[in-house]
Amino acid sequence: MKKSVLDYTLKIRLPLALFVVALTFIITFYASRTERDGIGYEPEQPINFSHKLHAGQMDIDCQYCHTGVEKSRHALVPSVNICMNCHTLAAKDKPEIIKLTEYYETGRPIPWKRVHKVPEYAYFNHSVHVNKGIDCADCHGDVRQMDVVKQAHGWTMTACLDCHRNPHENISGLEKVKNGPTNCAACHR
Amino acid sequence: MSTDKGNKNYWKSINEYNDDNSLKEAKHHEFMNGVTDEFEPDQLSGISRRKFLAVLGASTAFAATACSDYADKGEIVPYTKRPEEILPGIANYYASTCTGCSNSCSTLVKTREGRPIKVDGNPDSPINKGKLCTKGQSSILSLYDPERLQEPLLKGRKISWAKINGEIVTALKTASDSGKEIAVITDEMTSPSYNKILNELSQKYSTLKIYSYKQFNQKTRFDAWEASFGTRVVPSVKFNESKIILALESDFIGKEGNFVENARLFAQGKDVVANKKMSRLYSVEGGMSLTGMNSDYRLRLRPDNQFDFVLALIDEVSARLNKPTNGIPKVTMNSFVAKNNLNEKTVKYLVDDLVENIDTSIVHAGDTLSVELHKAVNVLNSLLSGNKLYDFNNSFVEIRKLTSLNDLKTLAANSELGALIIVDSDPIYHYPNIFEDAFKNVQTKIAIVNSKNDSSAVCDYILPINNALESWGDHQVRSSVVSLQQPVIAPIFNTRQKEAILLSWINDTAEVFDSSYHAYLQSSVKELFYDLQKPSADFSKYWLSVLHDGIIELESEKLSGRLSQFSLEKPAKTTSEYTVHIQESYFVSDGRFANNGWLQEVPHPVSKVTWDNYAAVSPGTAKSLEVENGDVIKLTSGGRVLEIPVMLQPGLADNHFTIETGYGRKVVGDVGLEVGFNANILFDSTFIFGIDQVSKTGKNYKLASTQEHHALDDDFVKDFHKSRHIIQEGTLEEYLTNPEFLKEHKHDVFSITDDIEYKGNKWAMAIDLNKCIGCAACTTSCNVENNVPVVGKDQVENGREMHWMRIDRYYSGTPEEPIPSNQPMLCQHCDNAPCENVCPVNATNHSPDGLNQMAYNRCVGTRYCANNCSFKVRRFNFFDFRDHFENEYYNNDLTQLVNNPEVTVRSRGVMEKCTFCIQRIMDARSEAIKEGRELHTDEVKTACQVACPSEAIVFGDSNDPNSKVAKMRDHNLGYHVLEELNVRPNVTYIAKLRNTHSEEN
Repeated sequence: MKKSVLDYTLKIRLPLALFVVALTFIITFYASRTERDGIGYEPEQPINFSHKLHAGQMDIDCQYCHTGVEKSRHALVPSVNICMNCHTLAAKDKPEIIKLTEYYETGRPIPWKRVHKVPEYAYFNHSVHVNKGIDCADCHGDVRQMDVVKQAHGWTMTACLDCHRNPHENISGLEKVKNGPTNCAACHR
Repeated sequence: MSTDKGNKNYWKSINEYNDDNSLKEAKHHEFMNGVTDEFEPDQLSGISRRKFLAVLGASTAFAATACSDYADKGEIVPYTKRPEEILPGIANYYASTCTGCSNSCSTLVKTREGRPIKVDGNPDSPINKGKLCTKGQSSILSLYDPERLQEPLLKGRKISWAKINGEIVTALKTASDSGKEIAVITDEMTSPSYNKILNELSQKYSTLKIYSYKQFNQKTRFDAWEASFGTRVVPSVKFNESKIILALESDFIGKEGNFVENARLFAQGKDVVANKKMSRLYSVEGGMSLTGMNSDYRLRLRPDNQFDFVLALIDEVSARLNKPTNGIPKVTMNSFVAKNNLNEKTVKYLVDDLVENIDTSIVHAGDTLSVELHKAVNVLNSLLSGNKLYDFNNSFVEIRKLTSLNDLKTLAANSELGALIIVDSDPIYHYPNIFEDAFKNVQTKIAIVNSKNDSSAVCDYILPINNALESWGDHQVRSSVVSLQQPVIAPIFNTRQKEAILLSWINDTAEVFDSSYHAYLQSSVKELFYDLQKPSADFSKYWLSVLHDGIIELESEKLSGRLSQFSLEKPAKTTSEYTVHIQESYFVSDGRFANNGWLQEVPHPVSKVTWDNYAAVSPGTAKSLEVENGDVIKLTSGGRVLEIPVMLQPGLADNHFTIETGYGRKVVGDVGLEVGFNANILFDSTFIFGIDQVSKTGKNYKLASTQEHHALDDDFVKDFHKSRHIIQEGTLEEYLTNPEFLKEHKHDVFSITDDIEYKGNKWAMAIDLNKCIGCAACTTSCNVENNVPVVGKDQVENGREMHWMRIDRYYSGTPEEPIPSNQPMLCQHCDNAPCENVCPVNATNHSPDGLNQMAYNRCVGTRYCANNCSFKVRRFNFFDFRDHFENEYYNNDLTQLVNNPEVTVRSRGVMEKCTFCIQRIMDARSEAIKEGRELHTDEVKTACQVACPSEAIVFGDSNDPNSKVAKMRDHNLGYHVLEELNVRPNVTYIAKLRNTHSEEN
């Protein structure tokens, strides 16, 4: 092979190719970040339930439906009997409510699509966070404005640690709270 | 190795004592030979290239379709109508009863989202006080056993309950009308209501006879008590108030009587930290039992000589106390001691102690000894304490007298049997010589059992019954308390209560409903207990309240216990050269737990053998028989032959074999199949009998023992051995004269780095070796709590057992007269943990509250940490043991339900170890946060601590000077293992003190 060709390949083509590959990787990495973290994930639900209507306009407290949030690890997607507290009477001729009533009467559970999920091998406890005074919206975004629930923040280890390390900067109204635990066993066991 | 005074050398096995070269070689290596070289790809799986490509293609296609929405996170499916008491994520607790043995301990069952995941003792029970044995803890796995019977079967075919019941009732009527006997063989009766149903059944079918038996029982004790005192209400023993306890071939803290209660009481008497005094236990036995291991003095005596020993004791004691006894054959102690080559000094101490502590000494004989011997012991106890150490408020009662062996033999000989009903028992396995061919000609054979067994195999009608956790019941074994049993889960399969089945036969209903027994039980409890107690609440409230508590406390009738009979007959003695003692297995019991992997895998408390039984033999006898560990021998007694491997057990009486039964079942699930040898084929009428002939077979069998695993590298540090003090011991006298005698072993350690200051909580554990008896309840409780897998015999052989907690057993002394020491060993959560420094990916590191934490999802499996651990407590998942074990036996949807949802199920290639039950710490922490308070130091209880029957384990915050654990840490007897390494363990051991006489040091 001629020296000039070899020179050209080694000095220009190869670095250029590497640069393009690296650039593509970096751009893809950052561009797809939100997508990979699931931010904006907004699946279609079996029943067209609107948080904007219930929690926003009607101002129903989150805990009226998510009953476990103060007591348990799970916030709990409400069991159908909670919906039926109102919907045995309220809006009972709307198509979505007819669907709901059918679930209730046949005893079939509603297969809600999961929107928020802590990564595998991590144990998250709603009750300790809520009892420390952390607002639902700090992690879940402003659900009161969402017709269809979507994921507002990333659910990565970094997302957890950012707040655990600097709760005061990241969350307002938590002046008295100490930093959260950052040791492995706090979440992994 | 030499044994010089004051500085014991500890040895774990005969091989180690003899400085066996192969063992020395083995100790140089972290893993046993062959453990790590099994990873050649072509060996690992037999998958062919073609199959691989097929799987590859299929998985690609699958991935392409399944990943259509990569963001998909699955579904959340809430209840439609959520039951009021169930809040997902929060555990519910229900009081119930364990029916694993006849002690019927009251239990507290933890359920999550409606499925039971842990069984512990009921703290409200006055008998077991919140404790439960190994079998009870592990019994939860039997609930999720995929091989339980699932449907009623008629000659192996599925059939509906109504149909099979119709046929059975017709058959029973025919048998009854033709005057032929209907035999019901059932387990020992603990339930008054069940007993009532059986009585009603025998009224309905006039020829029906009930045979209630249990292979290992307290019948001899009851019979002797009746002969001596005229009542079949036998008091329990206040071991906690006894100063001198003499156990004659009795394993009262291991497996006889209510051993969980006994262990607690015994340990109270050994609580030197609280009381600065302790009881003294003498054990006279042929085998090496858990009780013998924990004795201060031990005499080796073949059990066939026990009777003469008791007579000699009576002779000696009555002479010393000047209380003459009549009608008792005379044996003098001197001649007996000389004849049996006993240690004269020990015998002298024993007699002196008994006589000097006349009010506080008790003699306790084993269940497998003869009635005559028990009667002699009653005489001896009357000479000594009278009744002072008997607890008459808490006596053992019988719901129904057990059938004698002779009656069972008569039944077997009855050729005119009309029908046979086997209820929840396995007579053909337990008594093969009686029942093997007995029922060939019986027309109607019915088995009402939980899972298939040797007896159900000969039956045509098989009716599956509920697991204990799916059943209702009432159980009374003690005069003071009734334990109620309630189901904590609906029947998983198409099974019924055994009582409901019998009720349907009484009431002639075709269908069987468990609700029928529920109603029956209520009316029975009303009649038997409510009407007697006459409480102010109405019955429905009373019922809910006793069901909630799990127990009904009763007034005990006061008994005097005056000895009414003195004369004794000397039973005929065996003339054989060798004797054998058939014993119940510590873990699989009489075989009923053979299909429970957790129980098969718990190392035997003495020999540390798993997954097998064996003939234990003394090293001396092994030498004269020219056999070694694992050699199969042939034992012949009265024409009955058993081939079984031998296991050299230090401390056994010479010319004596002890064999545990419960193994070698022919008809059992996958787990218990071909495990061990059926020793019942040797059994004739007593558990201790002569052997006509012992011969070698030339065959060899591999026993999987954990005994030599994880041995420390003594060879390398041989010269330091005396200064290592892994086990530190002394005598009570030594401690009382110089409380700080242990501190003489203290090391000056220094650090080149600054110490880390732990603010807030700092978790630590303390284990009192005076109270620990080595029963392994902690190991099992840990298994259940932390999802520890079953690995199987082949993997145990490779040293891959996964138990996070083990009981190390060391011997000192000689193989003839060994002095055993137990030490529960678990992750020490060292402040300067050597494992943490070597992890290349920082998967294991230290938490601010003093825990050595392990992040499984970070671990890449280099095993450096295990290599660097000074205590050998780290466990590596060489496989995903759930799918690796026995045809993926435990890898199914059903068995997975046993897993604790708060603990990660570890997969292949990950290191794991004790976490100090981090899930329980976090749970207590979240409770504290919910209530807006600080975490109390005594709030967290680890699984092992909760289970420990002798309450030897204490856990808490060592930063709180008032916590129990901090006090134990600073106690004069407290020490840390391998202190000189400056690893700073957070587990403190309280040194064992032996209550021996000063010359014995």
